[in-house]
Amino acid sequence: MTQVDVKKKILEGNLAAAAQLRAGFRASGTLVINMISSPGSGKTTLLEGTIARLKALYRLGGLDGDIATERDAERLRKAGIPARQILTGGACHLDSRQVMSALDDEGERFAGLDILFIENVGNLICPTSYDLGEDYKVALLSVTEGDDKPFKYPAIFSKAAVTVITKTDLLPYVDFDVATVRSELSTLRPDGAVFELSSRSGTGMDAWCDDLTRRLAGKRSAA
Amino acid sequence: MGVAQEIFRIGRESADANGGGRLATVTVAVGELAAIEPDLLSFAWEAVTADGPDAGSRLVVEWRPARQLCGACGEVAERAAGSWLRLCPRCGLPLRIEGGDDLDVLHVEFEEGP
Repeated sequence: MTQVDVKKKILEGNLAAAAQLRAGFRASGTLVINMISSPGSGKTTLLEGTIARLKALYRLGGLDGDIATERDAERLRKAGIPARQILTGGACHLDSRQVMSALDDEGERFAGLDILFIENVGNLICPTSYDLGEDYKVALLSVTEGDDKPFKYPAIFSKAAVTVITKTDLLPYVDFDVATVRSELSTLRPDGAVFELSSRSGTGMDAWCDDLTRRLAGKRSAA
Repeated sequence: MGVAQEIFRIGRESADANGGGRLATVTVAVGELAAIEPDLLSFAWEAVTADGPDAGSRLVVEWRPARQLCGACGEVAERAAGSWLRLCPRCGLPLRIEGGDDLDVLHVEFEEGP
């Protein structure tokens, strides 16, 4: 029997492709956001509202990871931006090689974007481990999911630079204590930003969009 | 499942590069914040290696907890596994979290060459 020390990152293949993507996004000045949440927490609806507010100002694009159907990409195209569905063939997350091949395939249509939104497969666990070359992760938590989620899913809420609490128009009808969530988030991610909004009513959408604008400007001035 | 496949690929490559044969044990480090459940990973390992020459090999998972640190008191040892403290139990300051991101292959053990 022989034993060798290896000391390799398990996801080295994914990390290498992510680094290559990140270099490309830096060169093109594209802000890239990896959006992660449970199914049904409102990722696509948040994007529809974001697109309505920002599409006149910026070139936006969307990648949508799902196990089946073109539905999310269709919604983003209907909202007025180029969007590409990535079907994962059963996998519960996107990986950076899928993102790379989708962008290669799209060519000009996705070249030189200001902001690229990557809507990951609806899942609070697996997508957390896969770097997609993004500038930061955004976690969404809808008020109907319950206020106990950050400590139950510490990996994603510690890695997300931004958490968005969605569907706040439903707060009167559910037991969801925003202060509890904010306190758990600040434990897991002391420097994280938290937005509360309702894509449906529009409340809180401006602050979220302003944050995107600031982060895009920050990335470009750092370049 | 994808993670188990990557571990298998790295384990197999390491054995092959050293003229080795059948895999015996692959040891990995998994951090508390790596979003990987060790039991599920071991189950996925069995599925990935089943039906091949490395069936019956063992995946050993070294669990690496995250640490909570206080700016004034240092590491807070009182934290129970899987729970999080909001404030330092000694001085009441907010805590920061370090580590727990590990997702590494550490060692590969294999039988002598084919």
